[in-house]
Amino acid sequence: MKYNLTHAFWLSLGQCLLGIAALALLTFVCFRFHANSTTVALLYLIVIVLVSLKSSLVPSALAAIMAYLCLDYFFTAPLFTLGLNQTLDFVAPIAYLTTAFVIARLISRVRKSNEDQRRAEEALRRSQAEMAHVTRVMTMGELAASIAHEINQPLSAIVNNGSACLRWMAGDSPNLAEAREAAEDIIREGNRAGEVITRIRAFLRKTETDKVLIDINQTIRDVVILMRNEAEGKEVALHMELAGDLPAVLGDRVQLQQVILNLLMNGIEAMVCITDRPRVLRIWSREYEAQQVLVAVQDSGVGLDGKNLEEIFDAFYTTKLQGMGMGLAISRSIIEDHGGQLWALPNNGPGTTFQFTLLKHSWDRLCPSRKQ
Amino acid sequence: MSEPKAIVFIVDDDEAVRKSLGRLIRSAGLGVETFASAQQFLASPRADVTSCLVLDVKMPGLSGLDLQKRMAEVHLEIPIVFITGHGDVPTSVRAMKAGAIEFLTKPFRDQELLDAIQQAIQRDRKMRQQLAELAELRGRHGSLTPREREVMKLVVSGLPNKQVAAKLGISEFTVKIHRGQVMGKMRAESLADLVRMSDRLLIPSAETHRAGAEITTPQPD
Repeated sequence: MKYNLTHAFWLSLGQCLLGIAALALLTFVCFRFHANSTTVALLYLIVIVLVSLKSSLVPSALAAIMAYLCLDYFFTAPLFTLGLNQTLDFVAPIAYLTTAFVIARLISRVRKSNEDQRRAEEALRRSQAEMAHVTRVMTMGELAASIAHEINQPLSAIVNNGSACLRWMAGDSPNLAEAREAAEDIIREGNRAGEVITRIRAFLRKTETDKVLIDINQTIRDVVILMRNEAEGKEVALHMELAGDLPAVLGDRVQLQQVILNLLMNGIEAMVCITDRPRVLRIWSREYEAQQVLVAVQDSGVGLDGKNLEEIFDAFYTTKLQGMGMGLAISRSIIEDHGGQLWALPNNGPGTTFQFTLLKHSWDRLCPSRKQ
Repeated sequence: MSEPKAIVFIVDDDEAVRKSLGRLIRSAGLGVETFASAQQFLASPRADVTSCLVLDVKMPGLSGLDLQKRMAEVHLEIPIVFITGHGDVPTSVRAMKAGAIEFLTKPFRDQELLDAIQQAIQRDRKMRQQLAELAELRGRHGSLTPREREVMKLVVSGLPNKQVAAKLGISEFTVKIHRGQVMGKMRAESLADLVRMSDRLLIPSAETHRAGAEITTPQPD
């Protein structure tokens, strides 16, 4: 709030100085060329209109008063004195001030409505993203419960069969027929558990049909807007370095937002306990090899051991106290479903960089049948 | 003591789990009968031997807890070992309060299940033994003449022979004869023994006696 007030003050001061400079220049030119007082009065009016259009009430009013003083002092008789001697001396200040006031008011109203609209759009975007997140978390919760049940049945059958198998083989006269049947059932149930997992994969893929052409930079910006508060709250500097002219990619906007959000959140959380160096989170995009776009998120956090760099993508792997360990696993499955890759690299300095690639959009890939 | 192999009834809707449980329990030398649902279990005829029930909590249709309740309603007293995919505390408390032997969460260690089953079977065996003894006692009691029963009822309530004779309007000597007959037929070694038997037979109250007779297992002739 304090920052905003000082900022507004300096802005107004600059605008005042600019207005005064414009008036001084005009006065000098007109005086030099002996311009007629009515012409000068009109020129002043134009300057006031311009100043009012570009600034707020105070600089506009100041410009109006200055213009009137200059007009009275330099251009209306008697010259070089201030005083209400002519009609113009009465009309000019009224006209100038009215113009300045009206235009400043109108402009501020337009600005305010623009600002309101921008805020509404941002709020909308934020709530959409939050909703998408909540939906995803809920779906994940239901999914986890279902996985637990579906996997537990074959698993307990396997454990029972394993125990039975050992018991039938033990003793002086082992019953090999029973033991064999148990072992066969172990294999069958193992496959059944595998099928459950295949079905879950297919289900995850099925929800990923909403692919459209998207500008990945815009997607990054959308998420970064959401994350600003979070980053400021944790005293993390968030730097965005987006390459211009990136080709469009074909993808699911919400899912890619999820991935970026997840990587940024992880980055911020990795730096929470860093006190001896700046907490910097960089996100950048660029073209990568041929036909690909790369997005990277780099933190200056605690970093990961080399051996962890692959494990972190396993489901239910987590280094956080309150984490389900699904974030990176889901992120990777989303990126792979988009035909890209997601991996982690240790930084040269402290911290880790997560990056993912996405396939550049091309019509051939979108409609393979076109060639035939 | 050569009694028939104890049977473990398994009720679980998942075929693979059912089969694997059966195989595991058979490996411990027990008989096994499997059922895919609670309804099927209730509808099937069951051999009258020592048994226990391994019951899945979560099943479509009648759940395990429903079956436990239904069995209590029809006095089908088979000890129950519950198994469940996700054991939440309220469910397990309900099951245990209603008399379950054990509440196991899948997957469990084989020994845990087999121990629970052994415990259940022992409880059932004890229960059956008690019932058999009671049936035996009833048989003995049934072999008494009406007059002998009257004498027994009065004797065990603590009346001396003289008063028994006065109450029944017979001579004290006749009472002594009847009393000797009662002791012999009931195979009681002392008066205290006879009192214990009549306690188990619930003799003082004619009504409970009749109610008890309904759940009597086949009487030996």
